[in-house]
Order: sequence, then C-alpha cells, then structure tokens
Amino acid sequence: MNKPVVGFAGMTHLGLVSASSVAARGFDVVCFDADSALIRRLTQQDWPVLEPGLDELIRSNARRQRFTDSWADLSMCDVVYVAPDVPTDDQGASDVSGLTALIRDVAGKMKPDAVMVVLSQVPPGYTRALGVLSPQRLYYQVETLVFGLAVERATKPERTIVGCADPAAPLDQRFRAVLDAFGCPILPMRYESAELAKISINCCLVASVTVGNTLAELCERIGGDWSEIAPALKLDRRIGPYAYLTPGLGIAGGNLERDLATVQRLSDAHGTEAGLILAWLRNSRHRRDWPLRELHERVIARVADPVIGVLGVTYKENTHSIKNSPAVALIRELPSCRLRVFDPAVRASAEWHPRMMVTEDALATCDDADALVIMTPWPQFRALKPGDVAGRLRGRVVVDPFSMLDRAAAAAAGLEHVVLGAPLPVHA
Amino acid sequence: MTLSHVHSRPRMPDRVVLLGSSGFLGRGLARACAAAGIETIGLGSHEVDLAEASAGLRLAERLRPRDTIVFLSALTPDKGRDSGTLVRNLAMGRAVCEATRNIEIAQLVYASSDAVYSFATTLISEATPAVPIDLYGVMHRARELILASEAKAPLAVLRLTAIYGAGDTHNSYGPNRFMRQALKDGRIALFGNGEETRDHVHVDDAVDVILKVIAHGSTGLLNVASGRSITFRSVAERVAARAGRAVEVATSPRQNPATHRHFDTTNLMRAFPGVRFKTLDDGLAATFADMRAAASA
Repeated sequence: MNKPVVGFAGMTHLGLVSASSVAARGFDVVCFDADSALIRRLTQQDWPVLEPGLDELIRSNARRQRFTDSWADLSMCDVVYVAPDVPTDDQGASDVSGLTALIRDVAGKMKPDAVMVVLSQVPPGYTRALGVLSPQRLYYQVETLVFGLAVERATKPERTIVGCADPAAPLDQRFRAVLDAFGCPILPMRYESAELAKISINCCLVASVTVGNTLAELCERIGGDWSEIAPALKLDRRIGPYAYLTPGLGIAGGNLERDLATVQRLSDAHGTEAGLILAWLRNSRHRRDWPLRELHERVIARVADPVIGVLGVTYKENTHSIKNSPAVALIRELPSCRLRVFDPAVRASAEWHPRMMVTEDALATCDDADALVIMTPWPQFRALKPGDVAGRLRGRVVVDPFSMLDRAAAAAAGLEHVVLGAPLPVHA
Repeated sequence: MTLSHVHSRPRMPDRVVLLGSSGFLGRGLARACAAAGIETIGLGSHEVDLAEASAGLRLAERLRPRDTIVFLSALTPDKGRDSGTLVRNLAMGRAVCEATRNIEIAQLVYASSDAVYSFATTLISEATPAVPIDLYGVMHRARELILASEAKAPLAVLRLTAIYGAGDTHNSYGPNRFMRQALKDGRIALFGNGEETRDHVHVDDAVDVILKVIAHGSTGLLNVASGRSITFRSVAERVAARAGRAVEVATSPRQNPATHRHFDTTNLMRAFPGVRFKTLDDGLAATFADMRAAASA
C-alpha cells in the first residue's frame, strides 16, 4: 500500500495543529480552507494561532504540508479529516451548522474511495445522523486539543479514540496507517461512545479542577497550603502525576463549558441525574470571582479611586484566546477603578473598561498602582522580582492566584501577597 | 438574577414612602433619608394597617406618581409564628400590590430576609435556591413572588441577614439579645456552646445599602450581608468584653445540631463597589455607645 495522502479541511486551531502533526509523521498533507485570505496568510507562514512549537513543526514539515483553497487538491486525498473549530455561545452550546455544511461539501468533493474522519468535537449522536457517506467511509476521531499544549498533544497522543459505525469491523487500511504512525493505542468504539468519551475526559478534568479549587479555598481559611497537599495526591496511584489539581479561577476557554452544557442538555432530555454538573459550574463561578473579592476587601473598599494593575488577559498562558477569560471578566467588573493592563499576546480592548491604560511591559503595569493582580500565568511573569514590583507599586497588595511571584521573596519585599490555596495574609 | 441599576450615578428620588417606618430598620432609614434631604413619608400600622381588607385603597390614596416605596412592614416571628400571622403578612403584600395598580411608582424596594434560604447550603449567594424551612421564610418568599407578579413597579428585593443595633424592637437570638442580657443580668445564655455561625449586619450598614438601592433605582435581587460569619459564642464573648461589667457566658446542653450560614457577597461588591460594612467589633462598640447614650438621656 502506498503511503496515503491526507487532507485536512478547516484550517483553524484544531485543523492546523492536527494537520501539522500528521505531516510530521511523514505523510503528504493537504491543508484546505475555502477562506482564500486565510490560506494566503498560512502560505506566508503567518499563523493565526499562538501555539508553542507550531512554527518549528510546520517549518520542519517543509513540502509535505501545503496550504490550498482549491477543492481539487482535496479531492486527491485518501483520508480527509474535517477539522474546523466549532464555535460555542455564552452558554456553552455548540453551533455545528458550519461544520455540517463543510462535511457535506467535502463529501461531495472527495474521491469515491476516500474516507472521511470528523475531528471537530460534536455532540453524541451527531456522526451517525450525518448520512452523507456510507458507514464504512465515515469515522469520528476524538481530538484532545489543549490550548498552549496543542503541538505536544497532537504529536505525542496518549491514545487515539476512533468512533466507527461498527467497531467490530476493521478500520480502513489507509486511515489505520495514519493512526499507526503515532505509535499509541488505538481504541475503536461506536460513534456514540467516542463522542461521549471526549466529553467524559473533560468531565474528569473538571472534577479534578473542582476538587483542587474546593480544597484550596479551605486551605486559605484554615492555614493549610494546597501547594503542599497536591504533590502528595499526585503520588497516589488512584489519582496520578498528571491530575489537574492546581487551583485556578474556574473553567474557561469554552471547551470544558461546552461539554458540561452538552451533558446537562442530554441529561435533561433523557432524564438522568446530573446535579454534579451544576455543582461544578457553581464552584467555577465562585472561584472566577476570587480576585474580585480579594481586591474589593483589600483595596477597593479602602482606597478612593484605586488604580489596579492587571497582568494577563488571555484565559491561560501560551494562547491568544480570551474565551470566558477570568481576566476579561475581572476587568469588566472593576468600573470604579482605574486600570493598567498588560498581556504578552493580546492587547486589551478599550471596550472592556472606560478607564484603562494598556501598558507595554509587566513592570510598567505596576507603576503607581494600589494593587497588582496577575490573572494569567504567563511564564515571563515568573521572572518578575518582588522587590522590583514593590518598588513600582504605590500599594502593597499583589493578588497572584497562580503564585507567579516567589512567595518568600514577596513577603520579604513587604508585599501583601494573596495566592490561591495558601493562607490568606491579614490586610495591613 | 442579581441587581442592576437604572441610574449608573446616584440621584435623589422624588419621594420615599416608608412602609413600616416605626420599626427598627424603618426608623433608621427614616433618619438617614432625612439626613440626605430626601422627602419622606413614613407609614406605620397606625396610619395604614396593611393587613386590613381596604389597606390597598387606603395606601393608594397616600401615594403620588414617581414615589419610591420601601416595604419594610412585617409581623416578625416574635409577633407570631403561626399560619394566622402568615396570612396577615401575605395580606400586606397583596395590599401593596393593589396600591400600585393605578399609579406609576418609580421603584418598589422590598426588605425580604435570609430566612428564605434553608441551612442545606452553607455558602449562600443570590443563585442559591430559596427553600424556606419555616412559615416566616415562606412568608418572605411568597411576598417576593406576589410583588414580582402583581406589583406594578420596578422591584428590588433585598434579602437581609440578621440586623443588630441600638433601638432594636426584637429580641431574637444574637447580638441584640446578648447585649441586653449582658447589661441587665450579667449573663449571656447560649444554645449549646454557641457553635453556630451567622452573619450580622449593623443597622447603619443595612440602611446604607437600602439608600444606595434607592439612589440607583436598582432592580433585581441582592443579599445584604457582610460576608463575615462568626459563631454566637464569639459574638457573646465580644459583647461580654464591652459590657462594662462582669458577664458570664453560659452554655447549655445542645438540643439541635449546629447549623451554619455564610454569604458570598460578590454580587454586593459588584452592585456597589467600595461598599464596606462595619466589623462586628466596631458595630458592637457603636451599639453600646448608642444604648448608653439613650439610657442617660
């Protein structure tokens, strides 16, 4: 069997990273998008997403990976992934209309024996209901894109979950060859199982995050320190070293919210008990507001017309995404304050706040501020020296949920350093 | 649902009509309105008994277009915990709705209570389901619903936690009773060891929030709590320390399991950035000072 040619339709975050990882395994990959402007941009190596390692990966793929807006190029492929990002609304509901339209277009252009793999995340029941191709030519593959870690996850997957019409039937040989190239376990299962498997993974992640947040908050009140406890949990075999136990500001980014909304919708429709989901969402909202409460208690209720420095606006580090970002939510919730804001990747929008100054670097954000809040754990913020921060701030309060500043050094610099999961300092 | 403001900048209401102006909170609010130069009329049960059948019409006769109504009137548990009290309280709610039927009211502020919440959830926010466990809580929840569905006015519902301060006419378990017991008997009687935690708001702070709600023409739902809960034992010890005499804090065998209540006040911070409540120590000190001043007057 000749090495199959692999196509990817939809060159947003998921499609671009996934296509690059397949090309890195030695396959010729056609990267298609009907958006000519986007293809022009990609051809000029101007990537629309910020993802560590992506630039190097695509450059190393050289001619194996080419970008095109021509349907004819796609029709040369043996295996065609359909992989546009699926947008979600504020309630986490997916809009799959664009995906469905693309699937239908691609199905009409594929060569007669090519197989289609739906890679975009879809709700359970979606793939089987498509009816665009014979079941033997249609697969669903679970994506595990993690913003900021997408390249690592796409190039070194732990396993591949494949949804099939009939999991007892052998996978198409060409598709199998692509998957085998990654050298990880392949788990064929029914479409519906695969679609729910993706959601199940995210539910487990949210459960871990919620455990971390719940107990970290307790630590803050009873003098415990979650940073001491979490490593002990990770050494427990039943929990594991990669468990999501770092306390945070609730779930954000859109993907986890979408899956929780899907479980709620399905549970409502099918009459299953899903009170847990509501509890997770309530905890998430509660923790998202943690910086607001700390700032209010320590600064806003005590200082007239306070100036607050805000470091980071993206929902997490190493991404340009601000979807459901706690930082943007906080900025919008501080109308009584003047703000100084900096993010390494995204320029804060004037629409978010009427009295906001965008600064050019992290330390300048501290100038004459009554408090600093570090909302996104960008690695470069870890290089900030507490003494330098203290020297530029007017006040002493640093709300640092992710402990980007060294705690001992912050205390030595006289800062009132407020960290998630650590005993709350008494306000001076 | 949380609070939203009609006026982003505070402004003086045309006139405030205080229903329940002779009560503990009503007197404080009347004083604050007067101090702020707000035209105010206070109506107590002597002027209009809201529980009477014709109360709606009688109240309507006293209203003017663009009035702001603050509805504080209620028969509190010390006046009765039975179904008859419940029915009379509901009749008051209906009367207020009837009074608003043919007149344009700028705003209706209803002073509800945290009694609408059960003790199943210890951290309470406006998103916590209102599941009252006694008729007093049922009364407030029912009134909230009656006003929301039948009053012809933009509605703000404020769920107040326990209020304390000088001049309190109730004697419910907490700071007020403890202060009276300390001054009169030199002995504060706790249920059990006073392990239960509750939030306590000084009357001046509650009044301040109500004034802010009026000034912003706010509508929606807001819990009024400090966000700092404390055990009754700790309250008693703080009272004893300020009583100016030897005070015994007496415990008793616990009859019921201890319950706790804490408030997530994030929405209060959102609604009124910079709002700050007295600490319990400051509030107790102010209350003792007021009580002593009143006693010596």
